[in-house]
Amino acid sequence: MLKGVHQNLEAQQTPAFFVRGANAFSRMVFFCALSIVFMAVDARLNYLSHIRQGFIAALHPLEVVANAPSEWYRDIKKYFSVHNELVQENYVLKQQAFEHKVMLQRLSTIKAENVHLRSLLNGDMPLQPNAILGEISHMGRDPFTRIVVVNRGSQHSVKAGQAVVDSKGVIGQVTRVYPFTSEVTLITDKELSIPIQIERNQLRAIAFGGDNNTLDIPYLPTNVDIKVGDKLVTSGIDGVYPAGLAVATVSQILQNPESPFAKIVCTPVAEVTNHLQLLLLALPDAKDTAPIEEKITQEAKVAKDNSKPQTKVQTKPKANINAPH
Amino acid sequence: MRHTNIVSIYFTLLVALLCQLFPWVGQGIIFRPDFVLVAVLYWLLRAPNLCNVGTAWVAGLLVDLATGSLLGQHALSFTITAFIALSYQRRLVLFNTWQLAGYVIALLTIERVLMLLLKLFAGDENPGWHYLWPILTSLILWQMMIVIFGGLTRPRTKQ
Repeated sequence: MLKGVHQNLEAQQTPAFFVRGANAFSRMVFFCALSIVFMAVDARLNYLSHIRQGFIAALHPLEVVANAPSEWYRDIKKYFSVHNELVQENYVLKQQAFEHKVMLQRLSTIKAENVHLRSLLNGDMPLQPNAILGEISHMGRDPFTRIVVVNRGSQHSVKAGQAVVDSKGVIGQVTRVYPFTSEVTLITDKELSIPIQIERNQLRAIAFGGDNNTLDIPYLPTNVDIKVGDKLVTSGIDGVYPAGLAVATVSQILQNPESPFAKIVCTPVAEVTNHLQLLLLALPDAKDTAPIEEKITQEAKVAKDNSKPQTKVQTKPKANINAPH
Repeated sequence: MRHTNIVSIYFTLLVALLCQLFPWVGQGIIFRPDFVLVAVLYWLLRAPNLCNVGTAWVAGLLVDLATGSLLGQHALSFTITAFIALSYQRRLVLFNTWQLAGYVIALLTIERVLMLLLKLFAGDENPGWHYLWPILTSLILWQMMIVIFGGLTRPRTKQ
């Protein structure tokens, strides 16, 4: 038995004991140092984004191959979708379209009225943002980050920072753009904050991502006028999200007597898991926003004693939360 | 140790990367095994003359680039895991199937914990216990690798 082992070892051309080159430990130290440098550069500086983009573009064919089976599955499922379901869906859609048409009739008169009133007040015309229709290609490679990947990229003139919405409300923001895809960070991500307004009383605040697919509104005092079921909409003061988009509904208010702030938990209204289509709203142009900011500063001079203008997202606890709208 | 072809190593790594890129929609993604890590560990333990710590680092870097995580995260955790794997590589001949499985579980856990630490340093939130599911699925993948490509030691000669 032992003899057999010996013979087999001899039959190999090069014994593994002596051909390793550098010591494994020194290799490990070298590569660890290299990765730490890479991490530092990637986290703090922006040099590597081009390399990443180039690599993702080079990887695109591989990604297409990897995506192919699920797309075939989806197509086949679509092909075999039952007649009955289609009829039912058609019926529901027709009903919805009818309801929307009725609402649209009112909308056009209201819009005309609004334009008229705004012109009376010398106000700015609200911008109609351009939008790109995208489709979620997958939920990101890492299951523990709140990111979805959309099949529109810099080739379709997507830019980082664009707001992303679905038919129900805001989904999130484009955070990284690749040539053919882009990453959308969901509003439930801890890193993302969104300026909101309570629809009922126009109270302004900032919502942050919370645990388990929720949003938190920190820094609101315990006696704030907010109820379970209140609807949160975007306030539009950051220049990223257009005003008036639905964001979330308040689902829980916890008042801890020891804390000066209430813990307000909200559920986002957008349904990322239920459908694939979403809209990427174009960023407002710099020249369009400039006069608005000017106007705000002018207003601020007039109303200096009451409140300060909120042109940027503020995270300080005492950001003028109860400022009159 | 058996003779292995370097082309098959790189081909397996490419396929593993492809599997990593496979889109997952829904909750199943938390069970996804670490395809690239298992492939790297397998070749590292089977053919350390062709595949070393540097290969693990390059594979980790590719995973970082492909998944969009912080560049160097996977590279660092793969490198350290590969080093630990290699330091006991010569004793694996003596291990039976269960001992080998235990060894692989230990390596996978080390990689998972390292990755978690790096993520927490980078400012991610604590993902909770289901973060450890991929260890189990990776172990299943490991056993599949052994079935497909053969065990780490020589096949027993019939006497």
